[in-house]
Parts: sequence; C-alpha cells; structure tokens
Amino acid sequence: MNQSFYKRIGWGMLLLLSMALIATLPRQNASVARAAAPAQSGIVCTTDASPNPTFTLTAKTGYIGIPDGNTIFMWSYALGNDDFQHPGPVLCVNQGDTVTIILHNALPQSTSIVFPGQENVQANGVLAQPQFDGTGTLTSLTNTAAATNGSITYSFVATQPGTYLYESGTEQAKQVQMGLFGALIVRPAGHTDWVYNRADTQFNPSTEFMVLLSEIDPLLHQAVERNLNYNMNNYRARYWLINGRGFPDTIAPNGAAWLPSQPYGALAHIHPYNPATNPIPAVVRYLNVGTEDFPFHPHGNHSRVIGRDGQPWEGPSSENLAQEKFSIPVGPGQTWDATFSWYDAENWDASGHPIPVEVPRDQNLTFGPYYGSPYLGTLDSRPVGTDAQNQCGEYYHIAHNHNLTQIAGWGVTMIGQATYTRIDPPLPNSCP
Amino acid sequence: MNKRFPISRRHFLKVGGGALAATAGARALSNWGTNVLNPAAVVDAAAAVPDYHLGGTDGWIALPTTPTIPTYHPDSLAPSPFTTYIFGFRNLNGLTDTQIADQKNKAQASAPIMVATENTDFLVKLTNLGLALRPDLVDSHTMHWHGFRNAIPLFDGEPSSSLSVPIGRNLTYYFRPRNPGTYMYHCHFEDTEHVHMGMTGVVFVRPTIGPKFAYNDASTAFDREYVMFLSEVWAEAHWADAHIQLPDWTDYKPDFWLLNGRVYPDTLAPNAIGNDASGDLNAPAGSPHLQRQPISSLVQANAGEKVLLRFVNLGYQKQAMTLPGIKMNVIAKDATLLKNGSANMSYLTNTISIGPGESVDAIFTAPAVTSNTTYLLYNREYDHLNNAGGVGYGGQMTEVRIRPSGVPAQTDGPNT
Repeated sequence: MNQSFYKRIGWGMLLLLSMALIATLPRQNASVARAAAPAQSGIVCTTDASPNPTFTLTAKTGYIGIPDGNTIFMWSYALGNDDFQHPGPVLCVNQGDTVTIILHNALPQSTSIVFPGQENVQANGVLAQPQFDGTGTLTSLTNTAAATNGSITYSFVATQPGTYLYESGTEQAKQVQMGLFGALIVRPAGHTDWVYNRADTQFNPSTEFMVLLSEIDPLLHQAVERNLNYNMNNYRARYWLINGRGFPDTIAPNGAAWLPSQPYGALAHIHPYNPATNPIPAVVRYLNVGTEDFPFHPHGNHSRVIGRDGQPWEGPSSENLAQEKFSIPVGPGQTWDATFSWYDAENWDASGHPIPVEVPRDQNLTFGPYYGSPYLGTLDSRPVGTDAQNQCGEYYHIAHNHNLTQIAGWGVTMIGQATYTRIDPPLPNSCP
Repeated sequence: MNKRFPISRRHFLKVGGGALAATAGARALSNWGTNVLNPAAVVDAAAAVPDYHLGGTDGWIALPTTPTIPTYHPDSLAPSPFTTYIFGFRNLNGLTDTQIADQKNKAQASAPIMVATENTDFLVKLTNLGLALRPDLVDSHTMHWHGFRNAIPLFDGEPSSSLSVPIGRNLTYYFRPRNPGTYMYHCHFEDTEHVHMGMTGVVFVRPTIGPKFAYNDASTAFDREYVMFLSEVWAEAHWADAHIQLPDWTDYKPDFWLLNGRVYPDTLAPNAIGNDASGDLNAPAGSPHLQRQPISSLVQANAGEKVLLRFVNLGYQKQAMTLPGIKMNVIAKDATLLKNGSANMSYLTNTISIGPGESVDAIFTAPAVTSNTTYLLYNREYDHLNNAGGVGYGGQMTEVRIRPSGVPAQTDGPNT
C-alpha cells in the first residue's frame, strides 16, 4: 500500500466536495440517474443520490436475441417504467448507503429479490425472512411481491464494498433461469475508484468492466412462455451469455440499437500500461448467476485477482494476498474481482525494433477480422475480400470461458461466453 | 532469419525509464508487472532452427475397445491397432522435408511437452500438414500459448485477432518468456473442436535460478518432475469428425478421461522414444497400440526425493486429482507462485481441484519407505475413473512408485 495518507485524505475530501455539489443540484424528477447515451464500453451504472439511493425495479416479461437467430422469452428487471431490459440494471452505491429497492411485480407469479452478501435486509420495514405457507412448507427464500402488480420494498445498509448479485428468491430454479438477476456494486466510502478499502485495489474508473455470466435452457423458457410445466430434471443449458448477450453481440457497444433489450456490452477497451499516462489498471467484475462453473480465461495477460464474494484477498494483518491468474474460475453465485493491465513488454516497432521472425506473405496466411499487424498502432494491408474490423492498428485479445462447449450454443459454435479486450495504441492515436 | 537484435538505446531508455517512473509512481501496482518493468538480460537463442517445430494434422490413437460404444467406438474407419480419430501436433524438429510430409495423419496425443527457459528466446514453428481423412476440411491451425503474459495478438494464435496457418504453410511464433511456470498450449482455430480433438499440450518455463527449480524461489526445488496433462474424449465427437458429421457441443458427454493422452492402465506404459526411418514415432516398448500416445505418466522416485507434479487441464470438465497417502504441497497456480511478498499461500493437500484452462504445481516428498511401495494418483471424480463406463479402473489414473533407493536420476526431462 504505497498511497500516502495525504493522498487518501485528498480523495476523501474530493468525494465529500463532489457529494456536497451534487446535493445542491436539483434532482431530475424522482428517477435515478442513468446516462442517456452510455459510453460504448465499460460498466453502465444506475445510481441515485447517496446516502439514500432508491431504485424501482419492475419484474416483467420480454425477449432477448441469441446470435444464432433464436429469440428467447425472458423475465427480467426493468428500471421503473422503462422498457424491458436484461439483465437488470447495474446498481452502483456507496459503502454506508441505505439502499432502498422497490420491486413492482408485473409477472403472473409472486416474486422477490435476495441480496447475497448484504446483511439485515428489510422487507417493508421489517427483517426479511424466508416465507412458509400455512402448512410450514417453504414458499420463498424471502418476502415476496404478489403476482400481477404486487409490490414490496427492500432496504439494507451496504456495509461491505465489492461486487454482488441480486436475484429472485422465489422459485429461483425457474425465476433466476428466466432472467431475474442483476449486479450490485458497492464502492468504498471515500474511494469510488477502489474496489475494496485498500489503495492497492485502485482502478481506472474509465476502464471498469463487468462480466456477468449466465446460462439458458431454451426449453424451460419455451415452457414458461406457453404456460406449460417444466421438469427441472430435464434441465440442460444450451446457451451461455455474458451480460445477457452471446458472442459477437458481447462486443457490440452498450445500448446498441439492434439489441434493444440487451443494453450491456462486454468489450474491455483499454490502453497499454504507461507509468506516466496510464499507470492504474482496469478492473473486471466477474459474476456467475448460473448453475455451472465458468472457468473464464482472458488472453493477453494474467489478471490480478484482488477479491471474491465481496471480500478482499488479504491476510489477518491486511497482507496483500492478491494473486495473478490466467483462469478466473467463477463458480455459481460467486463474484470475482480482478484488475488487469496490458504491458507493451517488448515495444516492438516496425522501424527500430522489429519482431525477430519473418511473417509469411499474405497469400500464405489466414487473416482474422480483428488482426491489424504485429505493431500496435499500425494497420497493415490485408488480402482483398477478407473481413476487416481493425480500425487503427489496435490489438485484440479474446476473453472466454475455457469450457469450450460453453462458448458454443445449441448446435452452433462461437455464440456463447466470449468477448474481447481491445488495446488501443497509446494516446494520442488515430483511433476513432 | 536474423534472430539477433541488440536492445537499442531508444528501446533501453523506453523500458528502463518506465521502470524508474513506475517505482516513483507505483500505487496500485504492488509487485505486479515487475518482470516487465525490470527487464532482465535476455539470451537470444543461438540456433537458427526453432526450439520446436510443431506439425498440425490428424491421426489415430488407441483407447480400450471394451466396452464398445454403439456406432461411435471403436471407429469403424480406424486402422488397426487404433480406435479413435484425433487432430493433434507432432514435433517435426530434425526431420527431412520428405519425412515431414509423411507425418500427415500421424498426430500424437497429447502434444509434445515443450520446455522453455526464462528470459531465453523461444521459437515455435508451426506447419499445417493438413487432414488426411478430411480433405474437405481446409482448417487452418494456430498455436496459442495459454497464459503467456503480455502477448501480442500475432503470437497469441486466437484466429480472429491473429493470423492462422493454412494447409501446407507455416508460421514461426516468437516468445520471450519472462515468467517461469507451468502453462499449456493448443490450437485456437475452431477451438471447441480442435481443442477437444487433441491439439493440446503442456509448455513450461524453467526459472533462471536453475533447471531443478519450478520458480525463482528456493522452496520450489525438486529432484524429479512429471507433467500430468488432463483431457477428455467424447467418442461421438471424434467419430463425427471422421465421418463428416458435426456434433452439437452442448450435448457434450465424454467417454474417456485421459492423462498425458492415455487412459489407465496404459498410463503406466513407458515413453515412446525417438522416430523410425520414416520419421514416425516409435511405439513404446511392449505397447504397439500406443505409438501415437508417447507420454508415460508413471512416477518413480527414491525415498526422500522431491517430486514436482505439473497439472494442466485442457478438458471441458473440472477434475479432482488425488494422491492418498502422500501430502502434496501446492506451490503455484496458473504459472504464479503462491506467494505475495512475505505472505506464503502454498498449502498441503491430497487432492488437486483443477478446472479447464488451469495449471497447478505441487511438490511432494517421497515417503521414507523401506521397501518398494506403490501409491495411486487418480481422479477423485469417480464417475470419470473408468473407460467408457466399463468395469474396472480406467481413466485418469497412474502409479507413484517409491523405492528406498536405486531409481536413477532423472536426466532426460519430465516424465522420464
């Protein structure tokens, strides 16, 4: 932990100042803040004023598209009266906030939300509890909103910074599978650019990414859509998604117009590490809301795992126990936080420091659409007629589930849990 | 091909200056990236030939024929004594052009174990020999070094972000390994298929402090080392590739669980050593059916010796390799020592849990036996400890044979 005491004080002051500023601004009606046009990449936070953020979520039905052309009937959380979206909004709050979530239920079945990792969750002002019917049979993990326009209000104090899921707590084998889930980010008090209350978990806020991993059994969704029974013994996932999208939709921008109900992209867009201009790493927040292990493998460099399930990797005396890993094995219900940087380790340069091997002539190679050249910032010519997606000599590295059956989908390859890291040349560059 | 290139002054300043600035400005970095920011002197490989020359092609291996799997196993097209169609790699170093061409349809499982040295340039030439049984498939191949830090896409081998090697062509991959440890490599072209079909193997990097250490840490010293490479065979998918069919990968259900390309008890057979006159692999002594599965998993050591097991999993399932009776000290995962500064996170266990795309390094001390003693290393996922559901033991199992003394020193590399 090299950050000085004074720097920490400085960050705290800055935050207090900005909070004071925000407090003096008139609030835009009662709705929460959400950027009209989110950045093309990076986490899209839904926020509300600290320290009492309030979010209204509406559980409703809708559809998402799968890259094989299939359309899947879903249940998910929309923000207030907004259109259906999947997954639910990414709720970003600050440590110490009293978070209120009003759940409206537009589904034909009672539903609820559990907040794994949050303590003393209140439901309509009393401690949330498992629900039993008159015969003592468990009916829900927590208090519910009644079917067809019921409502319930949950609240909790977000005490521990980290990455969390929120998800249905009612008949969840069906309801979570149907899509009732989202991410909750709790930022350390006074340090919104730290993942945990440790200076060595600092990240660059412009490179904060989410990898929310889920799976879909299309036959279950079809049964629900047709109001038929489904035997969970027959459960078999056939599609695997990141942030509610399959590849290559995963690398489409946030809010892409052609994915109207799937607003969250998963492209990690970064610049190379530079001690002067880009010294702080990106962060990737991994969440697994499925029932299977998802051993995620980002190419390009190791990730530095700094925490899991809302707990920093530290020893009893705050020793830094972060670990570099090339596999992030995210188990069901887990969240993993990992920082990531890419170093231009060899500084290859076409003129002064060329790669030490010969690249064969074009006709002797198969070109990938995202390939630019050996050199960062150089876009080589390529054979006519090949798909060309590289814009300015940027590098791409895939990041994917290494259970390779899960980067496939129902009879089709490469539509599952895969995305890319895009590494742009150092600024200033010619990239759009 | 000129492999020698002095570090230019400009380059030195760029890198050295970066290290200085990083020291002054490091905040969130901790010890991360140290090996990049404090570059060590690098040894250029002196030889003009690549360290390994991988040939990518198809071929046949032998898996137990009892029980059979209707339609799929053994494959009706398999030439005796083989049963199962694969894609895979061979090391073509030292072969003549004629011999190289003859290795089409002679892939091995698992791929050659490649050994690199920290800060020593490492070249891998990949030649695509084509698929003899599937001339209709014009698949390219690549080599992806899984876990290589700070890769550039050209040498990463993921085909959409990189270049791939068409049939009859070749490409040389260049690596400057700055971090010791146990990694893996595989073809990334049409990866779900090519990885499962067998284009998978282990590459590890020896540390600069010496060849008998796993990492640059005295606690990682060993006397012997064994690669334990885990993979799977779903007979239907292998049959489908041979018979011009496509499986639905979401139906995945493997029938065989392989350790270094073989199933128990074949795992105990000796290594195949050397090539015949045609350049093909010699079969291991006494096991002609294992001609294309050259890597033994038999562990032998003397009492008191330290044995390094390098576990790598490139199957699609998580496995649990257990060694009852001997505690293993897990010293590293994903080519990273389980230490962070003064904090030591290594731990003792009998069971190594390892998922797809992970590596785990564990060292055990051979017990002080007074007579020859056999221990078993096997997959605790008992439903994977058979061959195609047949009776008896199979799958990912081998023996660890400890003697009071008399096992010759390991001088011929891992798994010998």
